[in-house]
Amino acid sequence: MRAPILKQGRILIASVQGSMTDADLLQLRDELVASVRRHRSTGVIIDVTQLDVMDSYAARMLRGIAQMIKLLGAESIIVGIQPDVAFAMVQLGLTLQDTTTALDLEEGLTLLQSNEEQQGPANG
Amino acid sequence: MPQDDGQKATSGTLRPFTEGMEISQQELQERKQFLEIADEDVKRLTAINDLARRYADSVIEDFYTHLLSFDQTRAFFNDPQVLQRVKNMQKEYFLRLTQGNYDIAYSQNRLKIGAIHEHIGLPIKSYLGMYNFYLRAVAARLTEAYQKDPKQAWAAFLSLMKLTFLDMGLAIDTYIYSRERTIRDQQEAIQELPTPVLPLREGLLIVPIIGLIDSHRARQLTEQLLTSIRANRAKVVVIDITGVQSLDSKVANHMVQTVEAARLMGAQVIVAGVSPEIAQTMVTLGIDLGRVATVGDLQSGIERAEQLLGYTVTRHRVGAAAKS
Amino acid sequence: MADEIVVLIKTDADVVQARQRARALAEPLRFSSSELTLIATAISEVARNIVSYAGHGEIRLRLTQKGSRRGILVIAKDDGPGIPDIQRALEDGYSTSRGLGLGLPGSRRLMDEFELVSSVGKGTQVTMVKWAR
Repeated sequence: MRAPILKQGRILIASVQGSMTDADLLQLRDELVASVRRHRSTGVIIDVTQLDVMDSYAARMLRGIAQMIKLLGAESIIVGIQPDVAFAMVQLGLTLQDTTTALDLEEGLTLLQSNEEQQGPANG
Repeated sequence: MPQDDGQKATSGTLRPFTEGMEISQQELQERKQFLEIADEDVKRLTAINDLARRYADSVIEDFYTHLLSFDQTRAFFNDPQVLQRVKNMQKEYFLRLTQGNYDIAYSQNRLKIGAIHEHIGLPIKSYLGMYNFYLRAVAARLTEAYQKDPKQAWAAFLSLMKLTFLDMGLAIDTYIYSRERTIRDQQEAIQELPTPVLPLREGLLIVPIIGLIDSHRARQLTEQLLTSIRANRAKVVVIDITGVQSLDSKVANHMVQTVEAARLMGAQVIVAGVSPEIAQTMVTLGIDLGRVATVGDLQSGIERAEQLLGYTVTRHRVGAAAKS
Repeated sequence: MADEIVVLIKTDADVVQARQRARALAEPLRFSSSELTLIATAISEVARNIVSYAGHGEIRLRLTQKGSRRGILVIAKDDGPGIPDIQRALEDGYSTSRGLGLGLPGSRRLMDEFELVSSVGKGTQVTMVKWAR
């Protein structure tokens, strides 16, 4: 199953489906990386609203994706972690350190846009 | 004993009066020793049982006439069926005083009767007043019956007095027990109260923590807060711990978890109302609130939150119409 | 009590299956939605271990009862390499990136009862229970 990556200006939006396999996630990662480079995106929003469980494996994957995107010079924001999932995550000790989070897509976009404004017009 | 009007509904469940209230063999022994109730007393009491039988009805009648002559106590016996029932109960009670065998079963029975009276709301002063009446009623009959041997009457009376004091002790216990149970139930109810999560401004939630907080409550609080963050689209949460006396490591860990979980949902947490004592505790426990801002009082907490949210609060000149 | 559900674990897709079936099984009991997520997460962790370290194994799911309490019983079993240092594996560090990365202390925190039996060369069995309020 392929997760569509939506483009909104210089921002990419990827939704993680609950039933995604490891292979699907890896594919998503690769596609995101390719898209960031192709579009010279400044921000990526990874929407995990559909995830009903986040275990340590998934958390590691997400952090990995976020870090890769950062290395490519784009900002990444993880949005949509549900209350129950957030609760379970902290019980497990999964804090997604070094990542930026926001409540949902709307908040994520607002955050990216305000950050962009602060930084001034993008270079190149 | 009637079942329908005899049971209190507490949070939907019916509980027997003396649930949990028992007296141990040892406790009973100690009380008897303290009151100096000995075998001779038991003998004297059983010796006047015949006398008691003869006068039981008239003593009970007199007693209720006395009760019904006072507004305060008459109110409890308006229903003639209830009145007849309690009269029968009292007669049994009265006779039991001189039947000997003042064992655990006897005590349990006394506890039960005390509980019933407490339950119908009879003030303890009235309940104790009953014993006053019995003693005087019996004293009068004894004097009459033992005219030729006043010493024996007096001895019998003293034995009865000892026993009634045993009974009164048990009666008072049931009243105290009931009060304590109410207090316990209320405390539990308070514990069960959800901690309020208050939306103060758009994007800002305040969570005032009042009273004792244990692991269970902390977990409840976290779940509630996270749900509220989503519902209110909150970006900043101020947890006010001004009302918290002390923090143990378990609860402190829960707090850290709450902060981390809120962050996963995109919200920042400010812990306000950190007293010097709690600050010390946190340092001692080595709690790393790295990503949490802590402030000394609630006002500072709210101001900090407002700054984060981009609010500026301005106050108009005194005397102007608008209020901030 | 209903029968036991057995989910064979070999791939990551099986991990998802195991936790979905656990959710379905536990649903009729009086678990809060938060607790159902905890159960699913704990199962995800132990099932992952099977995939990552043993290659294949099974997750058994069953409803259980103790007195008037009802709960869900989970057994994660494999014939993998086993855990050499159980003590360390259960060490309660706070992050799963510390420790042996097995996520066992975390799973234990999520559930009410937790038992780990393992011997090198023979395999591992994790038994967990969560009770409904």
